[in-house]
Amino acid sequence: MLKDITLGQFFPGDSVVHRLDPRVKMLMMVAYIVVVFLVKGFLGYLVLFAFLAGATLLSHIKPKFLLRSIKPILFIVVMTFVLNVLFTRGEKLLVEWGILHIYWEGVRFAVFMSLRLVFLLLGTSLLTLTTSPMALTDALERLLKPLKAIRFPVHEMAMMMTIALRFIPTLLEETDKIMKAQTARGADFDSGNLFARAKAMVPLLVPLFVGAFRRADELAMAMEARCYHGGGNRTRMKVLKVQRIDWYASGVMAGTLCLVLLERLL
Amino acid sequence: MPVEARDLTHTYNVDSPFESTALDKVSFSIADGEFVGIIGHTGSGKSTLIQHLNGLLKPTGGTVIVDGLDLMAKETDKKEVRRRIGLVFQYPEYQLFEETVFQDIAFGPKNLGLDKEEIERRVRDACKLVDLDCDQVGEKSPFELSGGQKRRVAIAGVLAMEPGILILDEPTAGLDPYGRDSILNLVRLWHERGKTILMVSHSMDDVARLADRILVMNHGRLEMQGTPDEIFSQEARLRSIGLDVPAVTTLAGELNRLGFDLPPHIHTMEDMERALASALGGRPAAKKTEEATAHA
Ligand SMILES: Nc1ncnc2c1ncn2[C@@H]1O[C@H](COP(=O)(O)OP(=O)(O)OP(=O)(O)O)[C@@H](O)[C@H]1O
Ligand SMILES: [Mg+2]
Repeated sequence: MLKDITLGQFFPGDSVVHRLDPRVKMLMMVAYIVVVFLVKGFLGYLVLFAFLAGATLLSHIKPKFLLRSIKPILFIVVMTFVLNVLFTRGEKLLVEWGILHIYWEGVRFAVFMSLRLVFLLLGTSLLTLTTSPMALTDALERLLKPLKAIRFPVHEMAMMMTIALRFIPTLLEETDKIMKAQTARGADFDSGNLFARAKAMVPLLVPLFVGAFRRADELAMAMEARCYHGGGNRTRMKVLKVQRIDWYASGVMAGTLCLVLLERLL
Repeated sequence: MPVEARDLTHTYNVDSPFESTALDKVSFSIADGEFVGIIGHTGSGKSTLIQHLNGLLKPTGGTVIVDGLDLMAKETDKKEVRRRIGLVFQYPEYQLFEETVFQDIAFGPKNLGLDKEEIERRVRDACKLVDLDCDQVGEKSPFELSGGQKRRVAIAGVLAMEPGILILDEPTAGLDPYGRDSILNLVRLWHERGKTILMVSHSMDDVARLADRILVMNHGRLEMQGTPDEIFSQEARLRSIGLDVPAVTTLAGELNRLGFDLPPHIHTMEDMERALASALGGRPAAKKTEEATAHA
């Protein structure tokens, strides 16, 4: 059950995509999202697909593994598709069945909307799969640095994100363990009515919360013992540096953006 | 209630880059009333193995048969199996959740659908076994207790379900000598009631002393199985898979090298006492033996 979450999972590697500067990757991500929303027609999707396929190939991540990230939102994709098919009005009627009218425009729109969602998720998954959470928050901290001028606590935010991301797998693991332990004591998590199920969560949630607080406490202590005191005057162990491949990658991204824009305008 | 594993195989994260085989065709059977120790290096698959025995993990291949019930068969009621097999996880104190110790221990029996008097009887019995004063500690919050006490409450919670087979995953990890002894003692008491015990342990001394039979895991495979004598006489092989022999066995070897003539198969403190006494040409004073047994 908990195993299907691919988004946010990092898959260590040494490919070109892994080695790109995380800041550049993040900006590329923003551009990618813009592209996904700009794409209008078949040709545009072809360009987008080529870009994503290329990036996936270069990243050495198995396409099958990447595709799994769709699983959690499959329901949303299907719903989007069905709703759009049923409720979009157009001119070219394909099927008429009782009060149901399906138009060619509706089908087209539904396909594109679903594809948009899928591309969005695949792109973000590729980013998190090839970039460690540490690098991501590091990049975010750098990119948001200008906000420091208005006293926005950029470093603290980034540190909080790092810690949260770091502990997601730990919490999932812990949930799994406690669930098993209570099941062994005869607890039943998946039968009965809504009320019974909510009540059955107590033996899971209490130990989970107790554990989370204990861990937070220990972490705070460990950080203080190593003299952590927030963002002031900190230097970095790994200084990010934009290299030649980053420029190439940005170039490709810009090219994709131009092609899609061109398609939209023409 | 015999337990049998047939070609048990388990792969974590199938079809992902993190795929790893934790169990590889493990087969064994355990008879009624046996005390079986499971040893193996860290990550050898011991915890994975025992979670299969009451159906918490689903094998990738092979099956487990408990008392004639095939765990892989669809019609098998997993709850029924869990009623018969009690599983104490590693660090079980982290699963406590109720307001009072009494209620926490009663959680398992309540899930079995027993009536109030029977639950009370079982909770009291379990408390006595783990050496907790039910009237005094029973009304406290489990979160107020010390680590060792919490561990005993958690174990009592499993014992109160009165399983015919008790499985424990490193029940003594992280405890002081007194805590360790009291846990091992209650496991022995439970065994003396005629129950089957499976205990995972990193302590060769404990396993040698308590187990009738030992399963040795190595990288997901069942490397050896046999009586403590059979297992611990293969010192070199044990060392090659990251394990060891009991401290007294090493000592016996050293003494023999220094000119003693101790018999083979010295694996427990008692063995050593007997061997030394006869080697030194006298019988140990009666009082001393008593003390030693109490200590062991
Ligand atoms: N939930 C899990 N997901 C993925 N891999 C796991 C999981 N649990 C265990 N493993 C892997 O399976 C292998 C066996 O682990 P297991 O916990 O059974 O070992 P163990 O013998 O109990 O070790 P220890 O003595 O440290 O408790 C290890 O390589 C471990 O990394
Ligand atoms: Mg283990």
